Amino acid sequence: MHRYRRLKRVIREFRVWRTATFFLLFVPSVLLAGPDEIPRLTFAQLVDSIRADSAVTESIKSYNGKEVAIQGFIVPAGPPDLSFFLLSRVSALGNYCCEAPVGQDETVYVFAEKEVRITYDPLRIFKIVGAFEAGMRSDPINGPSLFRIRNARVEEALGAKIFKVGEVPAPDTKP
Amino acid sequence: MTILTVALKYLQGRLVASVLTAVSIALGVSLVVVSVLLARGIKESFIAGATDYNLVVGAKGSPTQLVLGVVFRMDLATPNIEYTTYRVLQQDPRVEVAVPIGLGDAYQGFRYVATNSAYFATYPWRRRTFALSAGRLFADDPPKDPTYEAVLGAEAAGSTGLRIGDRFYEGEEMAEYPLTVVGILRTTHSADDRAIFFSLSSYWGMNEVARGLTVKPLTAVLIRPRRLSDLPSLHRELNVSAETQAVLPSGVLLTIFNMMAVAEDVLAMILAIVGIIVLLYVLLSMYSATLERKREIATMRALGARRATVLGIVLVESCVLAVVGGVGGVLGGHAVAYFAGSLLAKSGLATNPFLFDPLEPVVLVSVILLGTLAGLLPAVLAYRTEVAENLAPLS
Repeated sequence: MHRYRRLKRVIREFRVWRTATFFLLFVPSVLLAGPDEIPRLTFAQLVDSIRADSAVTESIKSYNGKEVAIQGFIVPAGPPDLSFFLLSRVSALGNYCCEAPVGQDETVYVFAEKEVRITYDPLRIFKIVGAFEAGMRSDPINGPSLFRIRNARVEEALGAKIFKVGEVPAPDTKP
Repeated sequence: MTILTVALKYLQGRLVASVLTAVSIALGVSLVVVSVLLARGIKESFIAGATDYNLVVGAKGSPTQLVLGVVFRMDLATPNIEYTTYRVLQQDPRVEVAVPIGLGDAYQGFRYVATNSAYFATYPWRRRTFALSAGRLFADDPPKDPTYEAVLGAEAAGSTGLRIGDRFYEGEEMAEYPLTVVGILRTTHSADDRAIFFSLSSYWGMNEVARGLTVKPLTAVLIRPRRLSDLPSLHRELNVSAETQAVLPSGVLLTIFNMMAVAEDVLAMILAIVGIIVLLYVLLSMYSATLERKREIATMRALGARRATVLGIVLVESCVLAVVGGVGGVLGGHAVAYFAGSLLAKSGLATNPFLFDPLEPVVLVSVILLGTLAGLLPAVLAYRTEVAENLAPLS
């Protein structure tokens, strides 16, 4: 009888430890795995999407309203609190080298809900995550735009590469 | 008698020491509050005063000088560019609006800004709007027939006392070309409040060198592109040119903010050290006060006061000092920010001393908690006071 009680206690302790181990190992991995589900768009995809007939293709429109991640250089075209800015494939400060500036097809209009607090560097690549919109639209303040990201979150993209037309990210590339 | 009453009586008993301790806490807190308020106020003032135009084009040189000079009038004007630069940009299909700017002398410290009526125009994309409180705008006069009409910013009008119809000039050489006030602007809460505006023709007419030039000079051109995505290409073209530079004003301000962030970090470290010194002062003050009244504490204990009561009295004393010092510091910080703000306003930055920062309650609660904590060691000392030892005859 005494041995039976001890066994019961061991089993109960084992269950407690099992539950704790589950929460410690599985829950954080689920939380960390979250961002992997955000699709990453590249400037190459954006350019390709309007190659055919100057209209945005259905494949890129399928991302409309969905949260996406995209990397590029910040062009502070709006107010200095960065509540609105342009994201470009090319840096705004490469005056005497590099590539020629890009146009509407390689520029994303980024809108944040409030002031973005980052250490701004025109030569640094940033990752923007937010709700994607494709298609020509004009608003009185920021003029016509082809690609937009709303409710944007901004973070530095360390070691990131900007993909040009013809290049595709490796299959295991994560946003 | 409650613990609070006893604690207040003790504080009253050594009034000078208590006041000095509370003042030192207040000074530390007000230093934190004023630093936070001014840093935030300066940043917000830059954001609010930033131009609605996306590109500033000027002569080669410092981008910061160009933006601070043209947009905020806080620096010297950069060298001149040719008026033809403005004409070329005006006709560029990518440009929606181009506004020429000429910066010159000043009247009683209020900068002369030569421009045209486009500077005051309202566009859907403009946050800032201009309205006249009196009179009218100056005429866009032809270069050969300058009218020398001036429109004053609200603060320039208020400080100089100039009214509609008044004629003014500064310096004997300008006596031949006095400006006539034709309008006064309503306040815009920007550097424009401290400016005196007139036409480019008047600007060229007042200057002996410019009068003789075929191609007239300008300081800068403000640009709004039709499509913001054309901004990088315009920026690149104007920078590759040997004569001009193009600057994104927000980019320059963000660089200034980055530098301010470094200064803020250093300031935060200094403030942390000040905080530690103030806490040590509170600790020392309470400790010496406890040592001085060991006999009184022993008497209280002999009369039946419990150890916990004695501990509570000392803790409440330091808590009261922290509360008084903390609240006084917050109020003092706002008062100093008010005076510092009025000094900053003279350099074109309008800070709001009545601004409330979310950090303030955090600072206040931290000061009260840490101030109370600083009284813990003296409180324990009081708690451990032996009655027999301390009630022994003095001689």
